[in-house]
Amino acid sequence: MNFVLFINEKINPLQSIIVLSAAIFISSFFVISKSKAVKRFLIIVTSISLILAFYLNIYSFISMGNFSNFLLSFESAQMIEVSIILFSAVNLLFFISIYKVDSNHFIKILILFLFSTICAVFVVVARNFLLIFTSLTIFILTIFQLVTALNLKTNKARPYILRYFLRPTLTVILIFFGFSLFYGATDFKDFNQILQSEYISNPLIVLGLIIFGIAIYLYFFLFPFQGPYMKLIKRGEFSSNAIIWFLYFPVGIFMFLKLNDLFLCLFRENSLYMSIFFIVITFICIFAGSIGAFKTNSIRRIISFLFLFFIGIFILNISMFSTGIISKSLVDWFNIANVLLVLFSFMPIYSIFGVIEKSTGSDSIDNIRGFGRSNIYICINLIIIFLSWAGFAYHIKPFIKYFNGANFLKIGTTNIILLLAIVIAFIFLMANMFRIIDQFFRKPLTGVVEKIIFPKFFYIYVTFFTLVILAAAILGLLEILNIDIGIINFKITQVYF
Amino acid sequence: MNFQFIIYFNFLLFLMGVFGIFYSKNIISVFISYQFIIISAAINFLSFSQFLYQRSLWGGIFIIFGITSIYFLMFCIVCYIYLKLDPLDKEMLYREFRLLKITRSDWRGEDNI
Repeated sequence: MNFVLFINEKINPLQSIIVLSAAIFISSFFVISKSKAVKRFLIIVTSISLILAFYLNIYSFISMGNFSNFLLSFESAQMIEVSIILFSAVNLLFFISIYKVDSNHFIKILILFLFSTICAVFVVVARNFLLIFTSLTIFILTIFQLVTALNLKTNKARPYILRYFLRPTLTVILIFFGFSLFYGATDFKDFNQILQSEYISNPLIVLGLIIFGIAIYLYFFLFPFQGPYMKLIKRGEFSSNAIIWFLYFPVGIFMFLKLNDLFLCLFRENSLYMSIFFIVITFICIFAGSIGAFKTNSIRRIISFLFLFFIGIFILNISMFSTGIISKSLVDWFNIANVLLVLFSFMPIYSIFGVIEKSTGSDSIDNIRGFGRSNIYICINLIIIFLSWAGFAYHIKPFIKYFNGANFLKIGTTNIILLLAIVIAFIFLMANMFRIIDQFFRKPLTGVVEKIIFPKFFYIYVTFFTLVILAAAILGLLEILNIDIGIINFKITQVYF
Repeated sequence: MNFQFIIYFNFLLFLMGVFGIFYSKNIISVFISYQFIIISAAINFLSFSQFLYQRSLWGGIFIIFGITSIYFLMFCIVCYIYLKLDPLDKEMLYREFRLLKITRSDWRGEDNI
């Protein structure tokens, strides 16, 4: 028994990875099988392993607390990030199972998917430079293989898959160069050690950080470099698009959060120039995303533009920090909250629009005309999910707090410009949202309202997300109105870690 | 060897790589530009390990793991080009390829397939 406990202590943050590895091991025995029963069995095994990994991830943290050695660091932030990745993976399994279950390569795709999830978990828990770098590179490799495997029959997407993945390749090469510069400044092998040392202002570290910043910007396909991303999403298979949105992008955000503290130290020293620079980039990213979505009639492109809009918000958080509106801990929380908002809203929206596209044959926005009249239940759910985007307004609250506390002369032009940017971006986002909702209640072009038939589990899936969003909204409202119901111990509007 | 000379030479290699990525119209040139940056980083590791840290093993280990993983990724991409792309698409990659190309449809309007 002691021996088991000893092993349990040693593998503390890796329990979830071991469970996922066991699922890969079981799946590898059935790789060449084409039987439907085997596929169903493996879907059940994979989903159980993902749920078990999710449970073990939280359980191991609660029972044993923080864990760190020279390779790994597993604290509350990492626990939340791994949970988000595993939750996202469960949903991705749902997408892959729906759209790819008839493929001959389904079991291979499943194994590749589990490998990419394990790599994503390693990227999050890695502490050592070498482990961070190799896990990120292998993660991109597995995502590349997964996307190519999912798009085997879509000829039009092939050149754009290539163009897409040349960009993250450049990212890892730049990160490799950045680590070489870090090594020149100091022989530390951990971001925290650099942060706590005097080397933080070393020119090599600063140059390395600038190169990291460029690399991460390229990783996210932010403006004006979004070409291959937009083209791949337009042509790609449903499940491959989901992989890119719900696994590739969140891992990038978590990679960025690792560097966040170092970046923020750099910005504090050069506050004015940096804040002007970041406000300009924020303007470009947010407006280009919302205007791009407004000017297109393709649902896939609308979702891709809006996704870029939400991803661009992590730059907005840096701008807010550099102008002194929010603190360091709030930047991390805003980023995590943003990832959660994106995942919880885009997953059901994409799944519903996917079914609509399958049944109507094109992704034109005209296809959702009359949807609100024919499928009332799903439409109400969608409207609630769309309204969750109003949560973007939480970016305005710190400004109000700051303006109330500061002298009018000390407020500064940069802060007012940034607030203006956020308000205008919020208006554009709402305009995009109401444009889609408006289509639901318009008359169809053919004049006849046709009901789109959804599988039964879609109703359960969408209802789950709606209930979560409603619960969060009600709790938030009660806290804002200062009504204490005493159900939960923490305040949803004041969660910091 | 002069340490300063190595650093300047390295930085030149890095700039050549970046220049190649921006200006080359051929995918092979883009891969070569990538190699320039990788080699520049590898020389950085080796020279810093040699001159600053008394031949510490860390630089060597990072080079082995880093280069293996990057080349593995690049190898997969090259394999994909040769195995899966149509001849017409390949022709485009050798003539009119720009890694950071921006077209109007990326910003606004429709993208017709």
